[in-house]
Amino acid sequence: MIRDYLGLALRSMRHRQKRSWLTIIGILIGITAVVALVSLGQSMQRAVNKQFEQFGYNLITIYPGGLRGGYRGPYSATFEIDTALIAGIEGVEAVGAMLYKSAYVKGGEPPDQVEGFLPVIGLSPGIARVFSQFKLEQGRFFTETDRYGAIFGKNVPKDLGVEVGGKLEIEGQPFEVLGLLAESGAGDNNNAIFIPLETIWEVLGDRGKVSMVWVKVSQGYDAKQMAERVKARLKEARGKEDFSVQTIEDLQKLIGQAIGILQAFLGGIAGISLLVGGIGVMNTMYTAVLERTREIGVMKAVGAKDSQVMWLFLIESGLMGLVGGAIGTALGLGMDILAVVITKRFIQTNVLEFGISAWLVFGALAFSFVVGALSGLLPARSAAKLKPVEALRYE
Amino acid sequence: MNNRLIELREVWKTYRLGKVEVHALRGVSLSLEEGEFLAVMGPSGSGKSTLMHLMGCLDLPTSGTILFAGADISGLKSAELAEIRGRQIGFVFQTFNLVHTLTALENVELPMVFQGSGRSTRRARAAELLERVGLADRLHHRPSELSGGEQQRVAIARALANDPKLILCDEPTGNLDSAAGEKILETLKGLNEEGRTVILVTHDPEAAAYAKRRVQLRDGQMVEAAKEILR
Repeated sequence: MIRDYLGLALRSMRHRQKRSWLTIIGILIGITAVVALVSLGQSMQRAVNKQFEQFGYNLITIYPGGLRGGYRGPYSATFEIDTALIAGIEGVEAVGAMLYKSAYVKGGEPPDQVEGFLPVIGLSPGIARVFSQFKLEQGRFFTETDRYGAIFGKNVPKDLGVEVGGKLEIEGQPFEVLGLLAESGAGDNNNAIFIPLETIWEVLGDRGKVSMVWVKVSQGYDAKQMAERVKARLKEARGKEDFSVQTIEDLQKLIGQAIGILQAFLGGIAGISLLVGGIGVMNTMYTAVLERTREIGVMKAVGAKDSQVMWLFLIESGLMGLVGGAIGTALGLGMDILAVVITKRFIQTNVLEFGISAWLVFGALAFSFVVGALSGLLPARSAAKLKPVEALRYE
Repeated sequence: MNNRLIELREVWKTYRLGKVEVHALRGVSLSLEEGEFLAVMGPSGSGKSTLMHLMGCLDLPTSGTILFAGADISGLKSAELAEIRGRQIGFVFQTFNLVHTLTALENVELPMVFQGSGRSTRRARAAELLERVGLADRLHHRPSELSGGEQQRVAIARALANDPKLILCDEPTGNLDSAAGEKILETLKGLNEEGRTVILVTHDPEAAAYAKRRVQLRDGQMVEAAKEILR
């Protein structure tokens, strides 16, 4: 039965090919936008999850600012904190501190000298133990004795024209380049120069202050419980809660939420274009009902019930939605692939990865069919309600 | 054959055009036995088409009673009327009224689609019917590729699709040349001879001459119940 109706619907769509395609394009654009945005959001979410998994879930981060202040990024706020106190808490395996600064950097020799401001990040000796997978592509980490040793983020050699083993100046102080970091998912790190925390205090000031602290939890201890414990101890020692403690899981959730909100917002905008597409279907179907009034009369004369006429038109409009949805889904996924390729080629990061989610594909197809059918509902009803005699008389 | 197929008792049909009431039928009474071949004659505007619509269960009377195969149709819902049309009545129109996006075969299949019959039985029956009206070589032609006479024969095949008791024809030869028209009328006569009831609505006395019984309408009333005339 459905198959017969599908056949009839296809016939009439083919008969009004141009108009059918234009209507389908309306749906197609909306679905393309929705699918591309949702799929891209999913890719982002996957990328974020992968990064966090790389970090490991046994990490806790502490940064300045209480709950009310909110976090303003590593460059804007610093605090003094007793890392020895944290290291002494039971269940803490390692503690590392970081200080984010920006400094005037000079590299190479005249006439090829390059100079300018770059992010410079001070790392306490503990950082290497916290991030066991802080991977070097080339060279080695600085040790306690490398006072003026520096490690480059992935993109710095290209920016500065200095390779591992070369020299550079930070605020006039000469440094030796000891190593090169592997590409990092945290984009900032790729453009930063890392030096010992003690040295950054000496060269750039702010002695005793850090931007954030990383704590590695010992095996067998729960990160969430440890975060509570660290928080309690710090609050007790400082007398106030002018800092925030979060687990990697908290951070992941926070970023996940942010991506979700962004996705919902953009998806909503894309949804509006889908609505416009739906109205296009409605318009086309109303015209079709008008054009085919006589045909509807004939169908009723040969025994079609109102409900059968209604189904015929509903399936036709649903089909237009479905065709638009299928092409739109393919195009949307194509746009996602394009976004991944572009980020790889031009932003030079591998973090975004393409993936097809089955529920997105089926969801988009089902949704486009429903949009088509719903838009066809009113026209189909008006077709079904036509009186056979009047429909037959229609010129 | 004295099974009464249709009986009209004091049937009125009134249309309201703005504030004016138009009485298309004014108290028509008529009965029809199974196996009859009836011609309904009359000038345009006499109410012929209205009468045909009522006998074909396409419309309901304003007042009066219509019995179809013994059952009063006036209280029926539109789905029940559709059921009667689909199973018991075949229509042949002046303007053929084929669905122009479908082939001859598919047009004949259409009434069977709405009765829910299976694809292969439908196909076979439609092909057989088209063969019977002499269009075996035109199965996959669209209406626009057929002559008027051929289109009307497709329409007759379509009317026969669900093996109805009654064939209702509204000026079936009105858009055809006389040769093609004659062929159609011969076909209708043949159908009647098989035992099918045929109603022919026409203003053409030559066409009406094919019928076994004639009635005349004028201004919505029956003017003479024509005597049985043997051809």
